[in-house]
This record gives sequence, structure tokens and C-alpha cells, in this order.
Amino acid sequence: MAEKRLLENKTVIVTGSKRGMGRQMVTTFAENGANVIAHARVQDDEHMDFCNTLAEKDHVKIIPVYFDLRNESEIKNGIKTIRAKKMVIDGLVNNAGISYTALLQMTSIDQLREIMDVNFFAPYILSQYISKMMLRNKKGSIVNISSSAALDGNPGLSAYGASKSALLCMTRSLAAELGENNIRVNAICPGVTATDMINDMKDDIFRIQKEASFLKKVATPDDIANTAMMLLSDMSKYITGQVISVDGGITQFSKR
Amino acid sequence: MTNLELYKKSFCETFEIQEDALKGLVYQGIPSWDSVGHMNLVATLEEAFDIMMDTDDVIDLSSYEKGIEILKDHYDIGF
Ligand SMILES: NC(=O)c1ccc[n+]([C@@H]2O[C@H](COP(=O)([O-])OP(=O)(O)OC[C@H]3O[C@@H](n4cnc5c(N)ncnc54)[C@H](OP(=O)(O)O)[C@@H]3O)[C@@H](O)[C@H]2O)c1
Repeated sequence: MAEKRLLENKTVIVTGSKRGMGRQMVTTFAENGANVIAHARVQDDEHMDFCNTLAEKDHVKIIPVYFDLRNESEIKNGIKTIRAKKMVIDGLVNNAGISYTALLQMTSIDQLREIMDVNFFAPYILSQYISKMMLRNKKGSIVNISSSAALDGNPGLSAYGASKSALLCMTRSLAAELGENNIRVNAICPGVTATDMINDMKDDIFRIQKEASFLKKVATPDDIANTAMMLLSDMSKYITGQVISVDGGITQFSKR
Repeated sequence: MTNLELYKKSFCETFEIQEDALKGLVYQGIPSWDSVGHMNLVATLEEAFDIMMDTDDVIDLSSYEKGIEILKDHYDIGF
């Protein structure tokens, strides 16, 4: 018997789908039967081809949308484009993000604002508008990709960690606000994950992170995509307001 | 159905009230127009008029009459 596709007939939005975890999410969700609205910052042929190829392979719709998450009016126009598709939106994954590591004195306020714009304000605005669409159907699942940096307090991560912590507060609060309309809101805190984002990580830090994991390896994008899929699917229909660490136990390790 | 009828229907169905209760109705003036009811009203209006309300307008929608003004001025809905 063919395996059941976990997201069959659902439509989900994924931000930052050009690279890394976002790209893997689109792949995993499509394989599992979802129609995906695949957001990226700017239009390009490679991303269009990626969407078209997946759509054909998995017999789903993959609709690319393009807007810069630093720009509120671009975000709103993007949402208008999504609304114009007249699709019932079942899920939103606020995945796109930027990282930044610098000590307090080396963090400019402009840099801090940009991090907050992309990592917190954009997910906030998207949740505001997309949850209104979910409200009409009295169902939905929002998944926020935070970070293990939101839970620890390592040097150099005051800006990035704060933006990701803000996302966790938003997650819990929205879960409480939207729950009675059957909209669930959860967050994932990935540990170090093999994507472009960690390209600049120093070798010794990478090694320490790997060693600190109970599993002695870093995460791969599919570890995060699979967890997001579970949270979007009806398998998790009684899970809301939760923060799920997908970090090989690193945050537990640091408590010892 | 005229836009005014559609507007009234959105209020009546969301808050489970009769049309004669609409005039002068304000946010939090009845138990069903609480913050949750407000979000449901906005979702209903967006659906009914096929618009996407700006968050500033969602915040400003403080009464039955104010809603008409917002829809007229910001979304070109004729009443
Ligand atoms: N990798 C890790 O170790 C790790 C650990 C914990 C949490 N996370 C979080 O996981 C999420 C995904 O990270 P990743 O590792 O997949 O990162 P990535 O490979 O660097 O990809 C980030 C994605 O976000 C998009 N993005 C960034 N700024 C944008 C903007 N202003 N407008 C539109 N899109 C924008 C990028 O688009 P472009 O291609 O156009 O730049 C890209 O597609 C992020 O929220 C990150 O903070 C990552």
C-alpha cells in the first residue's frame, strides 16, 4: 500500500525557500502532498525551475512569490498576491532569517534593526495577515523557526538571540490568542544545521557544537523540515504553544 | 445585496445580534464584540468585500459607523 502523504490537500507558505532549510521544507512538503507557496527574496530562473520541477514530480502546486522581508510594504503586497490566489491557507512557516555574531560594542543599531526586521517583524506581520485568512476557515498551523541561540546566552549572540527569543514569546502568546479558532502556533529551535548560514562559523566552534550534541553530529535541513512537517500536519493537532528543540540535545548538554 | 446590507449582515452574523442593535454599536459595547469577536468581524468583512484590511484600520475599527467610514475611505467601497 502506498504510504500516506502527511500534508495531502494542504496549502502551506514557506518563507526563505531559495536555500537551506526553506528549500528542503518545500521539497519535503511537496513530497508529502502539500501545495506550497514558496517565498524567496527575488525572482530568478533557478528558483522558478526548482518550483516547476517539484510541482511536476509530486503532482502538487508550487507557487513562487517574491518579496524582501526587510520591507513592510513589499511584505503586504506579497500577501495580497497570495490572497489573490484564493487558496485556503493551512500553514505558514516563518523560516527565513539572517544570522549575526558580534559582541555588544560591535553591533550597530542599524544592524540590530535589520536583524529584528527579518527575524521578528516580518514573521509578526505575516502571522498578523495570514492568521486572518486562517480565521475564516477556523484552522491553521503556524511554525516559527527560532534557534537554540534563543535559549542559551552565548557571547556575540545578543542581537540574533534576542530576535529569536522574541519569536518564542510571540509563539506562545499567539497560541493562546488563536487557539480557540483552531489555529496552532509552535516554534522549532534548531541547533547548528548544515546550511549556508554556518559557512562562516569558525572550525573550532563548529567542532565544539558537534561534540556538545549527544548525537555527535550537527543537524541536516531535513531534520528541521520533518519536524516542521509534523507540526503542520494533523498528527500534531493537539500540539500548540510549544517550543521544540531539534538540536541533538545541545541545549540539555549546556544545562549539565 | 447592497454593500450596506452586506456590511450589516457581517456584523449581525459575527455577533449574533439583530439589525436594530447596530446603530451606535461600539467595540466592547456588547459581550460578543470582544477582541476575539473583533478578529472574526475583520475576517468576515475581508471575505465579504474581498479586501485585505491594514492593521491600522483593524485597530481603528471602533464602531459600526467608523467601519463604514474606513471601508469607504480606504477601500473604495461605496455605501
Ligand atoms: N543553519 C543553522 O545552523 C541555524 C540554526 C538555528 C536556527 N536557524 C534558523 O533557521 C532558519 C533558516 O536558516 P538556514 O540555515 O536555512 O539559512 P540560509 O541557508 O542562510 O537561508 C536563509 C533564507 O532566508 C532568506 N532571507 C534572508 N533574508 C531575507 C530577506 N530580507 N527577504 C527575504 N528572504 C530573506 C534567504 O534568501 P536569499 O537566498 O535571498 O538570501 C534564504 O533563502 C533561519 O531563520 C535561521 O535563523 C538556522
